[in-house]
Amino acid sequence: MSEEKKDHMKQDFEPKIVGFLCNWCSYAGADLAGTSRIQYPPNVRIIRVMCSGSVDSMYILRALLEGADGVFVGGCHPGDCHYIDGNYKARRRMVLLENILGTLGLEKERVWLRWISASEGQKFADTMKEMTEAIRKLGPNPIAKHWNL
Amino acid sequence: MTHKLLKIKDNDVLKTTNDFLRHLLSSGKIQALLVPQSTPSKKVVYPVLIADPKKLHADIIAPILPVATATMVSKMTKVQPPSKPVGVVMRSCQIRALIELVKLNQASLTNIVIIGIDCPGTFPTNVYAGFPEKKTPTHFLLETMIKKTDEAEQYLRSACQVCKDPIPTHADIVLGFYGTDIEKEIIVEVHSEIGKDLIKEIPLEDEKEGKNRENAVKEIREEKTKKRIVFLKEKEGIKGIEKVAEFFDKCVNCHNCRQACPICYCKECLFDSAVFDAEAYKFIRRAENKGLFKMPSDALLFQLGRMNHMILSCVECGLCEQACPNNIPLMDVFIPTAENAQKEFDYHPGKDTTEKIPMIVYRENEFLEVGEK
Repeated sequence: MSEEKKDHMKQDFEPKIVGFLCNWCSYAGADLAGTSRIQYPPNVRIIRVMCSGSVDSMYILRALLEGADGVFVGGCHPGDCHYIDGNYKARRRMVLLENILGTLGLEKERVWLRWISASEGQKFADTMKEMTEAIRKLGPNPIAKHWNL
Repeated sequence: MTHKLLKIKDNDVLKTTNDFLRHLLSSGKIQALLVPQSTPSKKVVYPVLIADPKKLHADIIAPILPVATATMVSKMTKVQPPSKPVGVVMRSCQIRALIELVKLNQASLTNIVIIGIDCPGTFPTNVYAGFPEKKTPTHFLLETMIKKTDEAEQYLRSACQVCKDPIPTHADIVLGFYGTDIEKEIIVEVHSEIGKDLIKEIPLEDEKEGKNRENAVKEIREEKTKKRIVFLKEKEGIKGIEKVAEFFDKCVNCHNCRQACPICYCKECLFDSAVFDAEAYKFIRRAENKGLFKMPSDALLFQLGRMNHMILSCVECGLCEQACPNNIPLMDVFIPTAENAQKEFDYHPGKDTTEKIPMIVYRENEFLEVGEK
């Protein structure tokens, strides 16, 4: 396939992103984006969780292995966690996951962690735009075509 | 720390070490000893908890680690630790694992006296049980230690070949084979008050020069580090989904590795839970997603998931690899990932009970680039 054609394919490709949003901040932020009628790409499929600290690495891995092109985890800003320190723990867990994915060459760029508060509807929409474009640039998740995992 | 020497009697290392251990047990200061001892078939050496000194016929040299000794200590101490001291003879990797289990609240060091042994490495259980040489594995290994050759290297488990540290740390008493002539004597290092008290009545000689031991320990650590660097370089190739999927291709999701792992202690493992049971339509939907669907499913998810859960505490004992029915060389992936992940958090599993496991603590001003951009 020519490089040009490849580029063209990437342009056309619509990334599937799984988003884990914490109940107290990021989910409310996404809700605010919706109620404020702020447009953002429909590529993200949102799953509400009680805390970003409750997102086990396994959820992220499962999504990636089943072919999601990106996984987004949204939590409260540091210091604002409803459960005091869940987001700090989520951050450590993300560092570990990224480290392992890095060692195994499994495109850690597809996993994002961001802090989005309940009042940041605009930031949520902007982050979704940014992530969708970044993943579009990366192209489809190469794991998706592997059925023998 | 005091250095003493245990003189080898009648040219018999095992007899000498057994006399030493029997002495400890008969002194009444410890109520039982967990030591590696042959089963009647002589094919396997298990950790055996001995209460009667007359029944002690240990083989602390035997190059075999059929199960995680740390797990056995955990079983013995988790519900209620012993009321009087119990001695446990352990290799360095198992001491490290025990320290991790203590931090995970799965074992207690109360009344546990750790007797560490310098580890020349172990053979896979099957190699040990059907050892091809004319001698027993113990005598074969002893001879290579006396002749200082590396003939045993070919039989060693890969984890042992690139062992992080074969010298026990965190032990009350260390029986040292490095830096001495094992034909003539074994070094007895005492690191704690209880250790000191235990060996008080045992006839040991004072060591004149401790330098030999120090240098030998340094040397063996350097040698292993060198091998480790070569190993890490060699295994860099397992990168990218193609290679990773191929690497785990033989995994049938049996979870034996998890069972053998001293760190995997969860009573109810997520990967055995009902989350993976689903209605037929969900399986079919997954098949439709990719067009086809391998069963059993989620083998790689199990491997990567387990890795995420335990890698920071991984002591690289290699028992997962030994347990694999399909001989997947798991250490090829677990050693590099453990090395990198533990470096990221500047964490040293098994070093110290006061060092907190990275996943339960945090600092407010760390990893600031993660979560922001």
